[in-house]
Amino acid sequence: MSHFEQTKPAPGTRHDVWLGLGFAIPIIVIMGGLVFVPLASTLWDSLFRIDPMRPGTPFVGLQNYAGFLTDPAIRQGWYNTFVYVVLAVILETVGGLGAALLLSRIKYGRRWLLAALVLPWCLPPVVNAIAWLWIYNPSYGLLNGALHAMGLIDQNIVWFNSRSTALFLVTVVHVWRMMPLTAIILLAALQSIPQDLYEAAKLDGAGPIKCFRMITLPLIAGGLAIALSQSTVFALNLFDEAWVLAGPSLDTRTVIIQVYMSAFQNLHFSQGMALSVLTMIVSLIISALYVMRVYRETSYD
Amino acid sequence: MARINLNRICARLGLTAAVILLLIWSLGPIYWSLVTSLTAPNEMMTGTPHLWPPHVTLEHYGKLFGASSQSQGNEVQSVWPQFSAALLNSVITSAAATVVTVLMAAFGAYAFVRLRFPGRDTIFMLVVATMAVPAYTVMIPLYRLMISINLIDTYLGITLIYVSAFLPLALWLMRSVYRSLPISLEEAAWLDGAGRTYTLVRIVLPLAAPGLIASAILTFLSAWGQFMVPLVFSPSLATKPLTVLIPEFVTRNYVDYGLMNAAGVIAIVPPVILVAFLNRYLVRGLMAGAGK
Repeated sequence: MSHFEQTKPAPGTRHDVWLGLGFAIPIIVIMGGLVFVPLASTLWDSLFRIDPMRPGTPFVGLQNYAGFLTDPAIRQGWYNTFVYVVLAVILETVGGLGAALLLSRIKYGRRWLLAALVLPWCLPPVVNAIAWLWIYNPSYGLLNGALHAMGLIDQNIVWFNSRSTALFLVTVVHVWRMMPLTAIILLAALQSIPQDLYEAAKLDGAGPIKCFRMITLPLIAGGLAIALSQSTVFALNLFDEAWVLAGPSLDTRTVIIQVYMSAFQNLHFSQGMALSVLTMIVSLIISALYVMRVYRETSYD
Repeated sequence: MARINLNRICARLGLTAAVILLLIWSLGPIYWSLVTSLTAPNEMMTGTPHLWPPHVTLEHYGKLFGASSQSQGNEVQSVWPQFSAALLNSVITSAAATVVTVLMAAFGAYAFVRLRFPGRDTIFMLVVATMAVPAYTVMIPLYRLMISINLIDTYLGITLIYVSAFLPLALWLMRSVYRSLPISLEEAAWLDGAGRTYTLVRIVLPLAAPGLIASAILTFLSAWGQFMVPLVFSPSLATKPLTVLIPEFVTRNYVDYGLMNAAGVIAIVPPVILVAFLNRYLVRGLMAGAGK
């Protein structure tokens, strides 16, 4: 048996080329057919008027894009998305950093605390949103019930009646799901800081706040940038939570809900495509800014 | 001396309080969902929250799994046929997407690390770059494509879309795993006359098992939780998963929160099991995926 094995071609370059291509071709086919071709098609088709309800697909240039400035629903979608992004990024970063610092101090049962922390991130966003929908229920929900029991309110509040409250409550559900990711990324960054730095600083008489500012913060800057870009992009793509909590309501509608409404409810395909292209570009620019920032921060070492 | 002790106790108390706060924040909503699913409908409507239902009932689960069901005293059509179909669809599409993605990532990433072929690095960069392309950007052409090749509402169609969405992360992860493995083991095998594929399957893959498990968990969780893709591509119960079915309980003439929470509790069982038993791999995978 063994002498047969030896006559096999040794891992040489020619054999490698074919084997490598063989392993890569399924990936090329799937990614090409289901991502690159549709992406090119989105970019191209967003310049035409493609609307199953209207005859013909005339070339309209950037007209689909120009319409965004005047359509009040789309403007509202951008505004809501902007609010979500700002609120979510702040809350996730502050909460995630707090959780990461806490976990890095825990010695016993850390594995289980970590499991409890990541759990919300692992659950289907729709199921999360339903749990929260019930908590927010105006008549029987836990939120009103708890505030009542504490004597903070004497009348039940219909939370989604106020637009700013609705935006905030949708953000809370999103933050509940996404904060674990920020916390894990920051925890990984915290763990990479050598402990003797803190010991040296302590010998020099630095207090905990000074240690945090002079050691922790600079050394987790890279992780922080990745966490920030993740939370920004995910908040920009918010769909599930807002959809389950308030459906297509204009008060909470995000850009992505607008894409879905334009394309699959109103069947304005090209308008939806143009809006999705714009959102993708915004998303890419923000990620690129963070990545460049990280690159600059970390390129010294 | 007493002062130091007092400080230490305060620090310990603060830490404990923070841990409790974190646990309530993370697990509270899930616990509340579980409690709701075990509460009788009339007790749900009292407005005073109970930390544990006064009378535990399996009524809502009975509605999900029963052959017939009662709603507000009336005999109504059972949701079991829909619920079981959606549960099965969720399991099939998530499992298929996980198996295909992990297999392709296991072999593909090896090629991108160890084998030299023309265009290798460009292809890898392009594939990984698609992580920055949000799903909805390609959704509309994909929808028209799937309609034209008759793959709307089929397991094959959904699985292919999931694979194209989750493969880049799995590839990225597996590449970083392979790069961290010493090449000397493989070289020793080649010297003994083993071929590339044999070495990969018998020596490299077992060593990369933690990475494979992490990729599998991440892919499974993403597929299991998907909502927008099946909302568009699974219009009927032929492939509709739980995530799309459960919110539809709202649109009936009244919102059955007990039923929805019970269905939600069932839907979170697989992720909870994964987190409870394989959390190590998941966290390490997330750290590796985000870190490099």
